[in-house]
Amino acid sequence: MNTVDTVSKTVVINRDVLSEKKRRAAELRQQFTERGILVVNLVSSPGSGKTSLLEATAKCWQGQHKMAVLVGDLATERDAERLRPLVPVEQLTTGGACHLELSLVEKGLAKLPLDDVEFLFIENIGNLVCPASHDLAEHLRVSVLSTTEGDDKPGKYPKMYRTSDALVITKTDLLPYVPFSTEDAIADARTIQPELSAFELCSLTGDGVSQWCDFLVQARRRTVCIPAA
Amino acid sequence: MHEKSLVQSLLKQVEAIMREHHAVSVQAVTVEIGPLSGVESLLVEDAFSELLLNSQIGRPSLNIQAVDLTIRCRDCEQASSSPGLTLKCQLCGSNKVQITHGDEFRLMDVSLQIPAESENSVT
Ligand SMILES: [Zn+2]
Repeated sequence: MNTVDTVSKTVVINRDVLSEKKRRAAELRQQFTERGILVVNLVSSPGSGKTSLLEATAKCWQGQHKMAVLVGDLATERDAERLRPLVPVEQLTTGGACHLELSLVEKGLAKLPLDDVEFLFIENIGNLVCPASHDLAEHLRVSVLSTTEGDDKPGKYPKMYRTSDALVITKTDLLPYVPFSTEDAIADARTIQPELSAFELCSLTGDGVSQWCDFLVQARRRTVCIPAA
Repeated sequence: MHEKSLVQSLLKQVEAIMREHHAVSVQAVTVEIGPLSGVESLLVEDAFSELLLNSQIGRPSLNIQAVDLTIRCRDCEQASSSPGLTLKCQLCGSNKVQITHGDEFRLMDVSLQIPAESENSVT
Protein backbone atom coordinates (compact mmCIF):
# COMPACT_ATOMS: atom_id res chain seq x y z
CA MET A 1 0.00 0.00 0.00
CA ASN A 2 1.24 3.40 -0.97
CA THR A 3 1.25 5.43 2.23
CA VAL A 4 2.05 9.12 2.36
CA ASP A 5 3.52 10.76 5.41
CA THR A 6 1.02 13.28 6.63
CA VAL A 7 0.98 15.97 9.25
CA SER A 8 -1.93 17.64 10.99
CA LYS A 9 -2.64 21.24 10.33
CA THR A 10 -5.40 23.43 11.71
CA VAL A 11 -6.59 26.20 9.42
CA VAL A 12 -8.32 29.07 11.18
CA ILE A 13 -11.27 30.35 9.15
CA ASN A 14 -13.64 32.30 11.42
CA ARG A 15 -16.18 33.07 8.71
CA ASP A 16 -19.97 33.13 8.54
CA VAL A 17 -21.18 29.85 7.05
CA LEU A 18 -23.48 31.81 4.78
CA SER A 19 -20.88 34.43 3.82
CA GLU A 20 -20.78 33.38 0.17
CA LYS A 21 -24.58 33.44 -0.13
CA LYS A 22 -24.70 36.78 1.67
CA ARG A 23 -22.13 38.20 -0.74
CA ARG A 24 -24.22 37.05 -3.72
CA ALA A 25 -27.34 38.52 -2.13
CA ALA A 26 -25.59 41.86 -1.58
CA GLU A 27 -24.50 41.91 -5.22
CA LEU A 28 -28.00 41.21 -6.46
CA ARG A 29 -29.44 43.83 -4.09
CA GLN A 30 -27.06 46.39 -5.56
CA GLN A 31 -28.35 45.53 -9.05
CA PHE A 32 -31.94 46.08 -7.87
CA THR A 33 -30.94 49.38 -6.27
CA GLU A 34 -29.43 50.58 -9.54
CA ARG A 35 -32.49 49.50 -11.54
CA GLY A 36 -34.79 51.40 -9.20
CA ILE A 37 -36.54 48.29 -7.86
CA LEU A 38 -37.34 48.07 -4.15
CA VAL A 39 -37.35 44.43 -3.05
CA VAL A 40 -39.61 43.44 -0.17
CA ASN A 41 -39.39 39.99 1.49
CA LEU A 42 -42.68 39.10 3.23
CA VAL A 43 -42.30 36.58 6.05
CA SER A 44 -44.93 35.11 8.38
CA SER A 45 -46.54 31.94 9.66
CA PRO A 46 -48.95 30.15 7.30
CA GLY A 47 -52.32 31.85 6.89
CA SER A 48 -51.33 35.31 8.12
CA GLY A 49 -52.67 36.92 4.94
CA LYS A 50 -49.59 37.62 2.82
CA THR A 51 -51.39 36.95 -0.47
CA SER A 52 -54.37 39.11 0.56
CA LEU A 53 -51.96 41.88 1.55
CA LEU A 54 -50.36 41.71 -1.90
CA GLU A 55 -53.79 41.79 -3.57
CA ALA A 56 -54.76 44.82 -1.53
CA THR A 57 -51.44 46.52 -2.33
CA ALA A 58 -51.88 45.89 -6.07
CA LYS A 59 -55.41 47.31 -5.97
CA CYS A 60 -54.26 50.37 -4.03
CA TRP A 61 -51.57 51.10 -6.64
CA GLN A 62 -53.53 50.30 -9.79
CA GLY A 63 -52.23 52.62 -12.51
CA GLN A 64 -49.81 54.38 -10.13
CA HIS A 65 -46.99 51.98 -9.26
CA LYS A 66 -45.82 48.83 -10.92
CA MET A 67 -45.15 45.74 -8.88
CA ALA A 68 -44.26 42.12 -9.50
CA VAL A 69 -44.35 39.14 -7.15
CA LEU A 70 -42.31 36.01 -6.61
CA VAL A 71 -44.50 33.58 -4.70
CA GLY A 72 -42.84 30.84 -2.68
CA ASP A 73 -45.02 27.83 -2.11
CA LEU A 74 -44.39 24.34 -0.83
CA ALA A 75 -46.23 22.61 -3.63
CA THR A 76 -49.24 24.38 -5.08
CA GLU A 77 -49.77 27.32 -7.45
CA ARG A 78 -52.80 28.63 -5.56
CA ASP A 79 -51.35 31.88 -4.24
CA ALA A 80 -49.79 32.70 -7.60
CA GLU A 81 -53.13 32.10 -9.35
CA ARG A 82 -54.86 34.57 -7.04
CA LEU A 83 -52.37 37.31 -7.87
CA ARG A 84 -51.94 36.65 -11.59
CA PRO A 85 -54.95 38.70 -12.77
CA LEU A 86 -53.49 41.75 -10.99
CA VAL A 87 -49.71 41.72 -11.42
CA PRO A 88 -46.87 39.75 -13.03
CA VAL A 89 -46.27 36.70 -10.85
CA GLU A 90 -43.74 33.91 -10.88
CA GLN A 91 -44.14 30.83 -8.75
CA LEU A 92 -41.23 29.30 -6.83
CA THR A 93 -42.04 25.80 -5.66
CA THR A 94 -39.71 24.50 -2.96
CA GLY A 95 -40.91 20.92 -3.03
CA GLY A 96 -41.54 20.99 0.70
CA ALA A 97 -38.53 23.02 1.85
CA CYS A 98 -39.21 25.38 4.70
CA HIS A 99 -37.67 28.55 3.25
CA LEU A 100 -36.74 30.23 -0.01
CA GLU A 101 -33.12 30.29 -1.13
CA LEU A 102 -31.42 32.90 -3.23
CA SER A 103 -30.87 30.44 -6.10
CA LEU A 104 -34.64 29.89 -6.37
CA VAL A 105 -35.21 33.63 -6.37
CA GLU A 106 -32.65 34.10 -9.15
CA LYS A 107 -34.36 31.43 -11.22
CA GLY A 108 -37.75 33.11 -10.80
CA LEU A 109 -36.37 36.55 -11.61
CA ALA A 110 -35.30 35.45 -15.05
CA LYS A 111 -38.96 34.90 -15.94
CA LEU A 112 -40.34 38.22 -14.67
CA PRO A 113 -40.68 41.33 -16.83
CA LEU A 114 -38.59 43.52 -14.52
CA ASP A 115 -37.91 46.39 -16.88
CA ASP A 116 -40.49 48.77 -15.57
CA VAL A 117 -41.15 47.25 -12.18
CA GLU A 118 -40.78 49.56 -9.17
CA PHE A 119 -41.53 47.06 -6.40
CA LEU A 120 -40.68 43.39 -6.29
CA PHE A 121 -42.33 41.39 -3.53
CA ILE A 122 -41.08 38.01 -2.43
CA GLU A 123 -43.80 36.05 -0.67
CA ASN A 124 -41.75 33.70 1.49
CA ILE A 125 -42.83 30.29 2.80
CA GLY A 126 -45.06 30.40 5.88
CA ASN A 127 -42.45 29.80 8.59
CA LEU A 128 -41.02 32.15 11.20
CA VAL A 129 -37.76 30.32 11.84
CA CYS A 130 -35.87 29.20 8.74
CA PRO A 131 -36.44 32.22 6.41
CA ALA A 132 -34.85 34.44 9.07
CA SER A 133 -31.38 33.14 8.23
CA HIS A 134 -31.60 33.64 4.47
CA ASP A 135 -30.89 36.92 2.74
CA LEU A 136 -32.88 36.99 -0.50
CA ALA A 137 -31.39 40.28 -1.72
CA GLU A 138 -34.28 42.21 -0.23
CA HIS A 139 -34.12 45.86 0.84
CA LEU A 140 -36.90 45.39 3.37
CA ARG A 141 -37.91 42.38 5.40
CA VAL A 142 -41.52 42.64 6.52
CA SER A 143 -43.12 40.37 9.11
CA VAL A 144 -46.84 39.83 8.61
CA LEU A 145 -48.81 38.93 11.75
CA SER A 146 -52.56 38.36 11.80
CA THR A 147 -54.84 39.14 14.71
CA THR A 148 -55.86 35.48 14.85
CA GLU A 149 -52.37 34.60 16.05
CA GLY A 150 -50.94 35.36 19.50
CA ASP A 151 -49.78 38.91 20.20
CA ASP A 152 -46.77 37.35 21.97
CA LYS A 153 -45.42 35.91 18.73
CA PRO A 154 -42.56 38.42 18.32
CA GLY A 155 -40.98 37.27 21.60
CA LYS A 156 -41.23 33.65 20.50
CA TYR A 157 -39.44 34.18 17.19
CA PRO A 158 -36.75 36.70 18.13
CA LYS A 159 -34.48 36.20 15.16
CA MET A 160 -37.25 36.81 12.65
CA TYR A 161 -38.40 40.04 14.27
CA ARG A 162 -34.85 41.08 14.98
CA THR A 163 -34.06 40.99 11.27
CA SER A 164 -37.33 42.62 10.14
CA ASP A 165 -37.69 46.25 9.13
CA ALA A 166 -41.44 46.42 9.45
CA LEU A 167 -44.37 44.62 11.04
CA VAL A 168 -47.77 44.49 9.36
CA ILE A 169 -50.67 43.39 11.54
CA THR A 170 -53.43 42.03 9.30
CA LYS A 171 -57.11 41.10 9.75
CA THR A 172 -57.81 44.05 12.06
CA ASP A 173 -61.54 43.65 11.23
CA LEU A 174 -61.45 40.63 13.57
CA LEU A 175 -60.12 42.59 16.56
CA PRO A 176 -63.52 42.74 18.30
CA TYR A 177 -63.69 38.95 18.28
CA VAL A 178 -60.16 37.83 19.13
CA PRO A 179 -57.97 38.26 22.24
CA PHE A 180 -55.26 40.22 20.44
CA SER A 181 -53.74 43.54 21.45
CA THR A 182 -52.05 45.35 18.57
CA GLU A 183 -50.28 47.57 21.12
CA ASP A 184 -48.85 44.57 22.98
CA ALA A 185 -47.75 42.91 19.75
CA ILE A 186 -45.98 46.05 18.54
CA ALA A 187 -44.40 46.69 21.95
CA ASP A 188 -43.25 43.07 22.15
CA ALA A 189 -41.67 43.31 18.70
CA ARG A 190 -39.97 46.59 19.54
CA THR A 191 -38.25 45.13 22.59
CA ILE A 192 -36.45 42.98 20.04
CA GLN A 193 -36.16 45.49 17.20
CA PRO A 194 -36.65 49.06 18.48
CA GLU A 195 -36.60 50.59 14.98
CA LEU A 196 -39.41 48.45 13.59
CA SER A 197 -42.06 50.31 11.57
CA ALA A 198 -45.54 49.02 12.37
CA PHE A 199 -48.83 49.00 10.42
CA GLU A 200 -52.30 47.78 11.24
CA LEU A 201 -54.58 47.00 8.35
CA CYS A 202 -57.40 44.95 6.90
CA SER A 203 -56.79 43.73 3.36
CA LEU A 204 -60.46 42.84 2.95
CA THR A 205 -61.92 46.28 3.73
CA GLY A 206 -58.83 48.25 2.69
CA ASP A 207 -58.56 49.92 6.11
CA GLY A 208 -54.99 51.05 6.70
CA VAL A 209 -53.73 49.78 3.34
CA SER A 210 -52.86 53.24 1.98
CA GLN A 211 -50.51 53.96 4.95
CA TRP A 212 -48.67 50.74 4.21
CA CYS A 213 -48.47 51.63 0.50
CA ASP A 214 -47.20 55.14 1.31
CA PHE A 215 -44.51 53.63 3.54
CA LEU A 216 -43.30 51.49 0.63
CA VAL A 217 -43.23 54.46 -1.76
CA GLN A 218 -41.20 56.47 0.77
CA ALA A 219 -38.88 53.54 1.40
CA ARG A 220 -38.30 53.21 -2.34
CA ARG A 221 -37.46 56.92 -2.63
CA ARG A 222 -34.94 56.62 0.19
CA THR A 223 -33.37 53.36 -0.87
CA VAL A 224 -33.04 52.92 -4.61
CA CYS A 225 -31.75 55.03 -7.50
CA ILE A 226 -34.78 56.51 -9.19
CA PRO A 227 -34.13 57.56 -12.77
CA ALA A 228 -35.07 61.17 -13.57
CA ALA A 229 -38.40 61.29 -15.43
CA MET B 1 -35.70 22.55 9.24
CA HIS B 2 -33.17 24.48 7.14
CA GLU B 3 -30.07 23.06 8.86
CA LYS B 4 -29.53 20.73 5.90
CA SER B 5 -29.08 23.60 3.46
CA LEU B 6 -26.82 25.43 5.92
CA VAL B 7 -24.66 22.33 6.44
CA GLN B 8 -24.47 21.96 2.66
CA SER B 9 -22.94 25.45 2.49
CA LEU B 10 -20.60 24.52 5.34
CA LEU B 11 -19.37 21.36 3.62
CA LYS B 12 -18.79 23.23 0.37
CA GLN B 13 -16.47 25.59 2.21
CA VAL B 14 -14.67 22.73 3.95
CA GLU B 15 -14.17 21.02 0.57
CA ALA B 16 -12.70 24.21 -0.87
CA ILE B 17 -10.31 24.57 2.08
CA MET B 18 -9.29 20.95 1.70
CA ARG B 19 -8.47 21.45 -2.00
CA GLU B 20 -6.64 24.69 -1.32
CA HIS B 21 -4.33 22.95 1.14
CA HIS B 22 -4.01 19.71 -0.87
CA ALA B 23 -5.19 17.82 2.20
CA VAL B 24 -5.73 14.09 2.11
CA SER B 25 -8.44 14.19 4.75
CA VAL B 26 -10.29 16.40 7.17
CA GLN B 27 -10.03 15.46 10.83
CA ALA B 28 -12.27 17.95 12.51
CA VAL B 29 -14.52 20.91 11.76
CA THR B 30 -15.29 23.48 14.43
CA VAL B 31 -18.30 25.77 14.21
CA GLU B 32 -19.76 28.40 16.48
CA ILE B 33 -23.53 28.53 16.96
CA GLY B 34 -25.20 31.40 18.77
CA PRO B 35 -28.47 31.08 20.71
CA LEU B 36 -30.14 33.59 18.35
CA SER B 37 -28.82 32.03 15.16
CA GLY B 38 -32.02 30.20 14.32
CA VAL B 39 -29.88 27.09 13.97
CA GLU B 40 -30.38 24.04 16.17
CA SER B 41 -27.15 22.23 17.14
CA LEU B 42 -28.71 18.75 17.23
CA LEU B 43 -30.14 19.19 13.74
CA VAL B 44 -26.79 20.47 12.50
CA GLU B 45 -25.14 17.31 13.84
CA ASP B 46 -27.74 15.11 12.14
CA ALA B 47 -27.40 16.94 8.83
CA PHE B 48 -23.61 16.81 9.07
CA SER B 49 -23.45 13.03 9.47
CA GLU B 50 -26.03 12.53 6.74
CA LEU B 51 -24.43 14.85 4.18
CA LEU B 52 -20.90 13.56 4.83
CA LEU B 53 -21.91 10.32 3.13
CA ASN B 54 -22.04 12.16 -0.20
CA SER B 55 -18.99 14.35 0.27
CA GLN B 56 -15.30 13.96 -0.48
CA ILE B 57 -13.99 15.05 2.89
CA GLY B 58 -13.81 11.78 4.79
CA ARG B 59 -15.32 11.40 8.27
CA PRO B 60 -14.28 14.40 10.32
CA SER B 61 -15.68 15.08 13.76
CA LEU B 62 -17.84 18.13 14.24
CA ASN B 63 -17.13 20.38 17.24
CA ILE B 64 -19.90 22.77 18.07
CA GLN B 65 -18.98 25.71 20.28
CA ALA B 66 -21.87 27.45 21.98
CA VAL B 67 -21.62 31.24 22.18
CA ASP B 68 -23.15 33.50 24.78
CA LEU B 69 -25.45 36.26 23.69
CA THR B 70 -23.68 39.56 24.15
CA ILE B 71 -25.07 42.98 23.35
CA ARG B 72 -23.90 46.53 23.15
CA CYS B 73 -26.17 49.31 24.38
CA ARG B 74 -26.75 52.28 22.07
CA ASP B 75 -27.78 54.47 25.00
CA CYS B 76 -25.01 53.91 27.58
CA GLU B 77 -22.57 52.38 25.08
CA GLN B 78 -21.69 49.53 27.44
CA ALA B 79 -21.38 45.90 26.52
CA SER B 80 -23.12 43.23 28.56
CA SER B 81 -24.02 39.60 28.25
CA SER B 82 -27.66 38.80 28.08
CA PRO B 83 -29.08 36.01 30.25
CA GLY B 84 -32.19 34.24 29.02
CA LEU B 85 -31.97 35.80 25.57
CA THR B 86 -33.48 39.08 26.67
CA LEU B 87 -32.42 41.91 24.43
CA LYS B 88 -32.14 44.54 27.12
CA CYS B 89 -29.10 46.40 28.43
CA GLN B 90 -28.14 44.82 31.77
CA LEU B 91 -26.70 48.15 32.97
CA CYS B 92 -29.27 50.81 32.11
CA GLY B 93 -32.27 48.77 31.02
CA SER B 94 -32.49 50.29 27.54
CA ASN B 95 -33.70 48.04 24.73
CA LYS B 96 -31.79 49.96 22.07
CA VAL B 97 -29.16 47.29 21.84
CA GLN B 98 -27.07 45.80 19.15
CA ILE B 99 -26.22 42.10 19.16
CA THR B 100 -22.45 41.74 19.14
CA HIS B 101 -22.39 37.96 19.58
CA GLY B 102 -24.99 35.25 19.60
CA ASP B 103 -26.72 35.32 16.23
CA GLU B 104 -23.95 33.65 14.30
CA PHE B 105 -23.34 30.32 12.64
CA ARG B 106 -19.63 30.49 11.85
CA LEU B 107 -17.01 28.12 10.54
CA MET B 108 -14.17 28.61 13.02
CA ASP B 109 -11.44 26.19 11.99
CA VAL B 110 -10.72 23.02 10.09
CA SER B 111 -8.13 20.37 11.05
CA LEU B 112 -6.54 18.76 8.02
CA GLN B 113 -4.17 15.92 7.32
CA ILE B 114 -1.76 17.15 4.68
CA PRO B 115 1.16 15.37 2.98
CA ALA B 116 4.36 16.07 4.96
CA GLU B 117 6.29 17.36 1.96
CA SER B 118 3.67 19.98 1.10
CA GLU B 119 3.61 21.35 4.65
CA ASN B 120 5.68 24.37 3.77
CA SER B 121 4.46 24.88 0.22
CA VAL B 122 1.07 26.29 1.19
CA THR B 123 0.78 29.48 3.12
ZN1 LIG C 1 -27.30 50.69 28.54
